[in-house]
Order: sequence, then C-alpha cells, then structure tokens
Amino acid sequence: MNRTLVGIEPELHLRHARLRFGFGILLLLIWSIASARAQDAVAVDPQAPLSMHATHLLGFEDVKGNTNGTLSIQNGAVQFQKDGQPGVQVKISSIQGVFVGEQSKQVGGVPMTLGKAAVPFGGGRVISLFSHKKYDTVTLDYVDVDGGAHGAIFQLEKGQGEVLKQQLAADRAHVTPQVVGTTKQETTGAANEAK
Amino acid sequence: MKPNKRLPFLRAATATVVIAITLAVWLPARAAEPKTSTGNSSRQWSVQVIKVDPAGIELAEAFQVAIYENLLDELKKTKRFQQVLRDGNRNAAAVADLLILKTTVEKYAPGSETKRAVTTLAGATKLTVHSQLCTRDGKVILDRSIDGNVRFLGGNLRATHNLAHHIAEAIKKAPLPEGPETTP
Repeated sequence: MNRTLVGIEPELHLRHARLRFGFGILLLLIWSIASARAQDAVAVDPQAPLSMHATHLLGFEDVKGNTNGTLSIQNGAVQFQKDGQPGVQVKISSIQGVFVGEQSKQVGGVPMTLGKAAVPFGGGRVISLFSHKKYDTVTLDYVDVDGGAHGAIFQLEKGQGEVLKQQLAADRAHVTPQVVGTTKQETTGAANEAK
Repeated sequence: MKPNKRLPFLRAATATVVIAITLAVWLPARAAEPKTSTGNSSRQWSVQVIKVDPAGIELAEAFQVAIYENLLDELKKTKRFQQVLRDGNRNAAAVADLLILKTTVEKYAPGSETKRAVTTLAGATKLTVHSQLCTRDGKVILDRSIDGNVRFLGGNLRATHNLAHHIAEAIKKAPLPEGPETTP
C-alpha cells in the first residue's frame, strides 16, 4: 500500500512541475506576442519627414542581411543606416523599379521558435497560429556606376511600403511598369504606379 | 594460465602503426591526384549573372531579386571565378574568358511560414529553376533544373538562398573548359 503511494507522489510532482513549466513558457510567449502587436499599433504620421524603421533583408552593399536600421530619403538618395554606423546610400536617379509586396512572418525569431518547441502537448503549434505578423516588403531595383543591376529588399511595418513607394515616385524614381510576374504578394507593384 | 597483460597494449600499438602506414600511403597519393576542374586554367574564367527570367510564372519581384543577389553571393563564395559580374555591367565586354549564367523559373509553389509552424508537413515553399551556364560563343557547360525549398524552419525567402546555394554547388562541380576563350 505504502509502496504504491511512494511511487505515485514523485510522478505527481514531476507532472505538476512540467505543467508549471509549460504554463510559464505559455505566459512568456503570450506576453511577447502582445508586446509585438503593441509595437504594430504605432500610427504612421504621413506629414512627418520620411524616415522609418526597417529591416534590410538583402542586397545593399556593405550591409549584412537581416539588419535593423533606419530607412530614409534625403538629398536625392535612399539611405539605410544601422544605429551608430554611417549610412549606405543609393541615388534615387539610379533606381529602376520599386515593388511593394506583403508577407506574413512568425514573430520572435529563433528564441520564440525554441520556446514554442518547448511547450508541452503541442501548445507551440497553437501559439504559432497567433504569433505571426504581416509586413510590407519593398524591393528596389537599381544600377551601379558600371551599369550592373542590383536589387535590395527591405522589410517594413505594414502600410509603410506604400508610403515609401509614393515618396520615391514623387522624387522621380524610375518606377517602371516591368512587373510581368505580379503575384498576390505583390499587389501594389510598379505597374499601378505607372498608371 | 595467466592472462598476458601486455596483449591489449600490443594490439593498440599494432593498430596505431597500421593506421599510420595507411595514412602515409594514402595522403601523398591523394595530393598527387590531377586537379581536373579547379586547376589554374579555371581561375581565369569570370562569370556574369543575368537577372532571373520569371518565364510567365507569377513570382514576386522580391523572390527574383533574392535569387539574383544570393546567386552573386554564393558564386563569390565558391572562389572559382576571377570576377562575378552583374547583369548589365559594361566591363563584361572587356573580360576575355566570360561565362554567362542564365536562370529561368520553372515552378514556384508559394508556401506559408505559419502553416509550416502549425502543421510541420504543409506550407512548404518550393522553387525550381532552369540554370544554364554557357560561354560567350554559346557552348553549354551546365544545363539543368535545380530546386530550392523551405520545408520546416525559416521564412519563404530562405528558399531563394537554398536555391542559389544548390546552383553554386552544381557549378562548382561542373568541369570548365580548359582552354581560354578568345578575346572579344
């Protein structure tokens, strides 16, 4: 009789500990999602000078991929500046095309992915259903001094891609109707801009 | 009968000697192997990467640019080419031994990162392109379909990185023409 009780108690403790651990991770993840969404709700003032927080995904010379920084338009150039470092510029006159797309990404990166994997009973999958966020992607096609074609992709908060595209069009960037393969992701391509 | 305590030591020593002899024979032989594709002659080649041709397939501009930029990066990493030139680069006309890499999209299945995270099995992003590496006079060196997918972790654009890596690997393995091309 006693032997059975002694055997069950540690098992119960272990189960409770697992549940507490899982619950803790769940709370942590919910808090991360809530804070990410709160950041999302920051309003964009259309009258403010164009400078926005962006993530450089790839393409700009001398800037690593997935770098956070500030994307701005100044002195006839698009500039990306990582905090505390000199900015990298591309002249607007060299830009051949501006394309705005949309993508949905899971928030939190690798730490969040690992956290979700640690949630017991498949809870991580449920969290994944709610832990995604929509972003705008802006693709710039431009040429260098030798005529070589370049492309750069930036990830912006939703809605800011269109603002950037309009500003570039106003600054006479070569927004050409070269979007033959327009997809659902590229709902607001340069073809519309040219019209 | 008393067990010989020296026996394990002798066995270990014998094994060590055998391994040492094998390595001594094998390593110089490997070093003496003729280098077929990455010899001195291949170092003279440069490559110009042409922008991706979507061939009527609905592929987002971001994907086309990502394939192109990742290809340039991956080809530089192979260290097989003297120069990796961009599409439209005027200096390409003056390069004597120039290869041209054309990429045409064959298949594209847009995936979803959220679907992947929730189901694991569904939501893969699949991308297949036709890669053609040829000399300026049209001699084809590489002509094959190559794919790049994202099945589990990572964003959709990761497919373009995987694809570019696979293309660069294929080019690395492809034998380049030995004799230098004539000057344009």
